[in-house]
Amino acid sequence: MREHHMRWAVIAATTIALTACAATSSNTPSSPAAAHFPVTITEASGAGVTITQQPHRIVSLSPTATEMLFAIDAGSQVVAVDDQSNYPPSAPLTKLSGFTPSIEAIAAYAPDLVVAADDTGGLVHGIGALHIPVLIEPAAKNLDDSYREIGQLGAATGRVPEASALEKKMRSDLAAIVASIPKPARQLKVYHELDDTYYSATSATFIGQVYALLGLKNIADGATAAAPDYPQLSAEYIVASSPDLIVLADTKCCHQGLSTVAARPGWSSIAAVKSGQVIGVDDDIASRWGPRVVDFLRTIAPHVKQLEVRAA
Amino acid sequence: MLILGRRLPAPPAPPLALLQGLPRLPWVWAVAGVAALLGAAILGVLVGPVHIGLGTVVQAVLAPIPWFGASSVDPSQASILWSLRIPRVVLGALVGGMLATAGAAYQGVFRNPLADPYLLGAAAGANLGATLAIAFAPGSSLIGVNLVPLAGFVGAALAVAGAYALGRTVTGLRNTIGLILAGVAIAAFFNAIQTYIQQAQTNNIRQVYSWILGRLVTAGWDGVLLVLPYVAISVAVILLHRRLLDALSVGDEEVTSLGISARRVRLIVVVAATLGTAAVVAIAGTIAFVGIIIPHTVRLLVGRSYRVVIPLSLLFGAAFLVLADTAARTVAAPAELPIGVITAFIGAPFFIVVMRSTRAAAL
Amino acid sequence: MTKVELRGVGIAYESEVVVSELDLTVSSGEWLALIGPNGAGKTTILRAIARLVSYQGEIQIDGKAVHNLTGRELARRVAMVMQEPHMPDGMSVSQYVLLGRSPHLTYFGKEGRTDHRVVADILERLSLDRLAARPLDHLSGGERQRAAIARALAQQAPVLLVDEPTSSLDVGRQQEVLELIDALRAEQGLTVIAAMHELTLAGQYADRLALLVGGKLVAVGAPADVLTEPAIAIHYHAHVRVLSLNGSGRAVVPVRSHLPSPPGEVVP
Repeated sequence: MREHHMRWAVIAATTIALTACAATSSNTPSSPAAAHFPVTITEASGAGVTITQQPHRIVSLSPTATEMLFAIDAGSQVVAVDDQSNYPPSAPLTKLSGFTPSIEAIAAYAPDLVVAADDTGGLVHGIGALHIPVLIEPAAKNLDDSYREIGQLGAATGRVPEASALEKKMRSDLAAIVASIPKPARQLKVYHELDDTYYSATSATFIGQVYALLGLKNIADGATAAAPDYPQLSAEYIVASSPDLIVLADTKCCHQGLSTVAARPGWSSIAAVKSGQVIGVDDDIASRWGPRVVDFLRTIAPHVKQLEVRAA
Repeated sequence: MLILGRRLPAPPAPPLALLQGLPRLPWVWAVAGVAALLGAAILGVLVGPVHIGLGTVVQAVLAPIPWFGASSVDPSQASILWSLRIPRVVLGALVGGMLATAGAAYQGVFRNPLADPYLLGAAAGANLGATLAIAFAPGSSLIGVNLVPLAGFVGAALAVAGAYALGRTVTGLRNTIGLILAGVAIAAFFNAIQTYIQQAQTNNIRQVYSWILGRLVTAGWDGVLLVLPYVAISVAVILLHRRLLDALSVGDEEVTSLGISARRVRLIVVVAATLGTAAVVAIAGTIAFVGIIIPHTVRLLVGRSYRVVIPLSLLFGAAFLVLADTAARTVAAPAELPIGVITAFIGAPFFIVVMRSTRAAAL
Repeated sequence: MTKVELRGVGIAYESEVVVSELDLTVSSGEWLALIGPNGAGKTTILRAIARLVSYQGEIQIDGKAVHNLTGRELARRVAMVMQEPHMPDGMSVSQYVLLGRSPHLTYFGKEGRTDHRVVADILERLSLDRLAARPLDHLSGGERQRAAIARALAQQAPVLLVDEPTSSLDVGRQQEVLELIDALRAEQGLTVIAAMHELTLAGQYADRLALLVGGKLVAVGAPADVLTEPAIAIHYHAHVRVLSLNGSGRAVVPVRSHLPSPPGEVVP
């Protein structure tokens, strides 16, 4: 409660300071992007974040936000990204942690905008106290959340046209991939694996939504009563469900692949193992809700196509 | 008339029940223990997230036996039973029996009711070893064995050896307090390193977390074969020490005056219990509470002699963990619950009921 | 026939010398009482004979150096009754006494019929047979002391070390326990070395007394020679009268040096 009030107070203070600033600089000629400021962005939580000027010293503590920022040509405005933001390679990687953020270390980059996926470790309160706006772009639940976040980042960085172009491209790419897959004769089952202790993702998650696009049935949906988004499935259930497709999002963390999956006790009877439809994907691509979801779908689609052609 | 045995001829064979009040394993409880384990195992094989009918289970279980062999069990169901469910029940029994036995042994050797198999840092060591393997050598294996359990085993053994060495140099092992404090210090130190690595490697956090919570999820028969030799040796050694553990209860000094070296007993029992615990922790993670609750329940219900506590802890510990694991994989089916959550969730209230109903003055 | 000899024995805890230059010979079948004021080193000497503390010099039992014996060999020669034996809650008397058979068992050995027979006989001899199944924590003070003695007897060791056998017992129980030790000594030819602070009882039961002060032996001999008023005054800083009893030794009676005047009496 208290933190919330503080945050509003900070935002109000910033707004006042900003208005004053804008008044004095109204004479200077400005680019179309700069003219767009100040702008207030309403976060998913309902909170408003006001950004007075086009930011040129952005610190991103969210790997997905980093990918989005670079995809909307705002990469040149980014001065630092957290230690997990490993894409694109041109991102200015630092040792900053988005998990246990250090306010001082972030402030040392003199940012004019901080983007993060969570308000952990008193981030909003701490950075807010320095009159630096903090934009929280949390894990998306579906593609629409993703598009909205891209739009918000476009507005926050003065890259509105680039953001809408990215959204348009993603939509058309995804539609093309989905259209390339024949209508299924029977619904295919998919098992998405997060690690080698069988944590999975249901349709309530972003990645689950992607499988829904392809018309696949996600076996993790049987376990939503226990954990609505990321349940740990029992091996018996996976074997008994005999998914047609296994997607391994634990190739990096746990070095899983077709051979290790086939060697698991009892797994040799699973349809996907028998037919070899065990797909290893990049853990990072599969766990982020950024523009590379198109790449993810492009990896999965041919396998689905194969299966359906075979089924038909 | 007192007979001084040495120079007199051997006395005629006396009746067996010459002495009253000697601790004997009551056969009722021994039978109850075996029945509990069998019952838990049968339940564990019958119940699971995938429904398999009683007839099918019986057929599948009998299938490998000649003459019964001609069964018509669906191969996928047979494979669920033989590759997943049955090894998991067996592993649960080994892990539970080992942890409860090791807990009882530690309590005897340290004469401390709060001692558990992790007292000298076995859990912290295993967690650190596993975290290191997960963070820095993901997916590696050594001589065909996954590196994570191996690192857990080595970590647990090193932590206990470190605590023993530290306790020895600091207090000369004159009493157990120095050893326990050394264990606490080692555990805190290892935990600190483990947490540091975990913080620095946030992308592996769920793996580390699920390791620490404990699981029997992925082991299969490989896991059973991996822990079986250690558990067998460890339990056998501890069982052989039943009399000496009872003797230790009079204190180090008096037991020394009886010609028994308290240090030697303690060293052998700690090494045996650590070996078994490390193997079990390496496969199943650090399952809490079993090592304390089972021996104490046996003490409260049956008796305090280690001739009773050790064998019954083995049986009831095995039965308890098989039941807890059955709950872990069925309560939220088809999702799994962490088994450590179940052991504490069932164990704590059960223990409170036992304590209240027996109104035991002292543990 | 078992003789205990101490030659030039010195014992130190850390750097503090507790016993020094002690020469003492206890003959077979003898009852020697170690007496002396608190902190004289009585218990420490018993602990050294049982090898519970390290010492310098030589302690021999029947000519065999104690430090050359294994723990089991020593425990078959020397049994010790502690002043406050630790009696685990819930353990029965018979189980406790059976622990005394440990020196006769191998490491992983189990008690056999002979051991049960020995314990049964001891329990009967010490009138503990009816208490065999009773938990130790349900015993009275005298019963506990008898149980502790029974455990030591089960070791069948020819040397019995007893540390303050009568502390915390009432006068009847004190006599009972000391008579018991004396009778057992006679029956089995035990050599008894007891630390005793109760001088009258020491004088009545022991053959010889060894008076220790500050870890040094100051007098050893028959009770009549050691228990003298001047010796007690010097070493205990106590005012006592030593009374000679008819044929049963001496009684040491403390007296107040300045008796308060009875009411009404006129002091000259």
